[in-house]
Amino acid sequence: MLKIEHLTKVYENGVVALRDISFEVPDGQFVVVIGLSGSGKSTLLRCINRLIDPTEGRIIWNGIDITAANDEELRLIRRRIGMIFQQFNLVKRSKVITNVLAGRLGYTNPMWSLINRFSPHDRQMALAKLERVGIREKAFTRADELSGGQQQRVGIARALMQDPELMLADEPVASLDPATSHSVMKYLELLNKEDGITILCSLHFLSLARAYADRIIALKDGLLEFDGDPADIDEQRFKDIYGEDAVRVEIA
Amino acid sequence: MNNNQFPTSRGALRKLLLVLAVVAGVLLYAYGWRVTDISLDETQDQTRQTSVTRALRELLSPNVFDQDRDSEFADAYFAIGCPDDGEPIPQPERAEGEPYIEISPDCGERDDAVTVTGHHFHANADAFVRWIPPNGQSRPMVRTDVDANGYFQTTISVPSLRGGGDEFHTIEVEGSWPVGLPHLSKTTETVIEKMVETIFLALMATTLAVPIAFVLSFFAARNLMRQVRMPAGDVLIAFILLPIGWALGDLLVGPIGELGVDWGKDLVLGIVGPAIAMVAYGGIARAAATAGLQEGTVGHRARKIGLNVLLVAVIIFTLGAVGGIGIWIGDKLEDTLLSDLGNFVNTLGTLVDLSISVAAALAGALLVSSVGTSLVRGGLRYFEGPADHIVGAVLGVASGTLLMAMMAVIANQAAWFGLLPLLVVVILAMQDLGLIYNRLTGAGHRDEANTHATLRLALQVAVAVVAFYFAYRFLDSGRLIVDGRLPSALKTEIGPFSVKTYTFRAMLMGAVLGGIGGWLLGIHRNFPLGMTVYNTTRTILNALRSIEPLIMGIVFVIWVGIGPFAGVLALMLHSIAALGKLYSEQVENIDPGPSEAVQATGATRLQMIAYGVVPQIVPPYIAFTMYRWDINVRMSTIIGFVGGGGIGFLLQQQINLLRYREAGVAVLAIAIVVSVLDFASASIRERMI
Ligand SMILES: Nc1ncnc2c1ncn2[C@@H]1O[C@H](COP(=O)(O)OP(=O)(O)O)[C@@H](O)[C@H]1O
Ligand SMILES: [Mg+2]
Repeated sequence: MLKIEHLTKVYENGVVALRDISFEVPDGQFVVVIGLSGSGKSTLLRCINRLIDPTEGRIIWNGIDITAANDEELRLIRRRIGMIFQQFNLVKRSKVITNVLAGRLGYTNPMWSLINRFSPHDRQMALAKLERVGIREKAFTRADELSGGQQQRVGIARALMQDPELMLADEPVASLDPATSHSVMKYLELLNKEDGITILCSLHFLSLARAYADRIIALKDGLLEFDGDPADIDEQRFKDIYGEDAVRVEIA
Repeated sequence: MNNNQFPTSRGALRKLLLVLAVVAGVLLYAYGWRVTDISLDETQDQTRQTSVTRALRELLSPNVFDQDRDSEFADAYFAIGCPDDGEPIPQPERAEGEPYIEISPDCGERDDAVTVTGHHFHANADAFVRWIPPNGQSRPMVRTDVDANGYFQTTISVPSLRGGGDEFHTIEVEGSWPVGLPHLSKTTETVIEKMVETIFLALMATTLAVPIAFVLSFFAARNLMRQVRMPAGDVLIAFILLPIGWALGDLLVGPIGELGVDWGKDLVLGIVGPAIAMVAYGGIARAAATAGLQEGTVGHRARKIGLNVLLVAVIIFTLGAVGGIGIWIGDKLEDTLLSDLGNFVNTLGTLVDLSISVAAALAGALLVSSVGTSLVRGGLRYFEGPADHIVGAVLGVASGTLLMAMMAVIANQAAWFGLLPLLVVVILAMQDLGLIYNRLTGAGHRDEANTHATLRLALQVAVAVVAFYFAYRFLDSGRLIVDGRLPSALKTEIGPFSVKTYTFRAMLMGAVLGGIGGWLLGIHRNFPLGMTVYNTTRTILNALRSIEPLIMGIVFVIWVGIGPFAGVLALMLHSIAALGKLYSEQVENIDPGPSEAVQATGATRLQMIAYGVVPQIVPPYIAFTMYRWDINVRMSTIIGFVGGGGIGFLLQQQINLLRYREAGVAVLAIAIVVSVLDFASASIRERMI
């Protein structure tokens, strides 16, 4: 259970990115966060694993207050929260397998991992995760030699190495073409359905959100504009979220 | 109307300012002209022109090659003061096929011109004419070329010589010509030898600097350090525990390291000992792991601490043993073909031996400090409200005292280091005032009014001045800074202890300022530890970088004597500073995404650097290292001028002896090596980026 309470984020330059956001996510839900660019989606997701420190409010996860955790506690929390990014954020010059193994660092002895020592178990696991996202054969190529869709799948494999209970996905398909977008979203759906991983995913397009979400949360200028069933977003709600001039774009 | 006039008066003002600026510029330039002694007279001076022409001509005909020469001699006799009877002077006999010379006249007074004609000399030889007075002290007169027929003619003038009576003077001609193939000259051989020394000097300095600069570069990277924040209480406790850990490490772990060295010198013990230690550690660790303790519990934490302490002991022991083995190998290899290697290994081993107790103390300091902090951290949480501030004040007093004690110790090393305690007092006072201001006005939030920032800064500056003045008087700093003497040796008794009054007063100020700061800050507020480290590292690197390697060279020559080692140390120190800065800028330029992603997986900061940062910075690091080596080769060619070894030393000697042809060889060698390296490093850099 993830509980966001009165979350507010004010950046150093005075921009208020989130204003008093509160909601709860029960385990196993597939939640999609939508909103215009600049509405605070990334800020929200990054507050949850504290890549950004919130200004006010609390985030409670499985009874633990993430916002109050010290460095060591935060590390233990982070290892169970996977994250994938719009820009994939792979280490481009490293091999795919190294990138995937990096997801296991939270569980490894810090000293051993510095000299690149992962246990055979971890290596086996990395290959299995790559297998799962369908690019086992790319394990030993350099990450920047992969296509966008493949890179995002490496990102998913890396997150899976953490044995996550919660997966944050910040516009994971915004840099991909429509077909590849669906294939990546399908993997997320699979993790949600098969492994019961809670998913919090921000998306640009409502159509994509509708296809995968159990629940949609819409942000507008840092405010919670909508929280509910995908089917409940009618024309008026759509205009509330995206502005009067918005036109629906369908992604096949 | 007004609208129209305004721009014109503005324009006139601007023109006036421009004219003034130009005038000021010209005046400034004229002053520069004078202080740099620019004078055209010197350049036109006749004797100076001759000597520069000579020097340049010789520099441009470097003595790179030599050739063996054969020579033949012919003599003629000359009388100073012609005989009264007008008889010709008897000349040596001519042998068939041998060269001979004729002189005319064969007698005369000094400064008379004498024509020397040679016959049957070796074709195209060089003819050296010498004057040998009766006392046998030959003096060179002139050099001329023999023609293809073995003939030459030249004129000399009779030198002014005293004495000799009526004995004859000898005019000797040496015909000399090259035989065999040209070969490298002695000078060239020396130059090559020195050039190799130079290149290795640069290589050593660079390679020794790289790892140190590598580590420092992370501490000097703003993007990494900005994230490092810690509750003030943790920072203070860590700081207070450092010296305690240092003492413990020195006392307990140091002997283990020294034992390791002793065992290592025995080879067998040196291998078996650490092996057993490691196996034992592995066994204990495995046994402990099966205890299956819950993460976060006391037992779990105790296990972690215990294992870490053991691990440090094992590592220090092994390190010592490796050093000891190095010494052993070095001793065995002495007087064998591999004696260079032996010497190298031996030096490394000795270095380990010398530094093992420091390493142990450092490890102890870090371990105790981090363990202690993590133990106390949980407890600190319970101090809320006023207790928060009381504990903060106590910790602040302790840390302030400690910090200023350290500064006082430094100030006792050299008079001008006495500026350091003053500086720290000023910084502490400014910080305290900032906190007081925020407390009184409620400012200090992100969205505070601009007036707050301005007013606070003004007050801080005022307090800085006052604090400086007070500390200067209180610590009697005039003695250090004006008179250049160390702090007075007077002591103050505090209970059973007796410390220097200077140190005591410094500690007193630290206690007061630290206490105020700790009180106001409390223990829960985040302290920007990373930025403090960042600023300190940057300041030290910048200060080091601003000192020219030549000046460092002078200091190191005093320390380790004239020779390449001094040059290595000087260039190394400068390279650390220069590379540290260049490297850290590369760290600041990385794509933050990957390292953020690694961090988000729950990696430690060190893991994040190893997996998210290092792969990104490898290519620029290699490029900058090449670049630095390139610079170091240039530098090492002149570091010899201050005694730092390498080719510069040779070059300077030859210039001092006015042997410009030899100097020319060195200059040529430098030019070749530098341009080859320039090209090589450029092409490698190009390939890397
Ligand atoms: N590091 C930052 N510093 C200052 N302002 C930021 C920063 N990151 C984002 N913002 C601002 O915060 C607001 C929300 O941004 P973001 O969370 O990235 O929105 P979204 O992901 O929905 O596009 C925007 O106005 C953006 O300009
Ligand atoms: Mg975004």
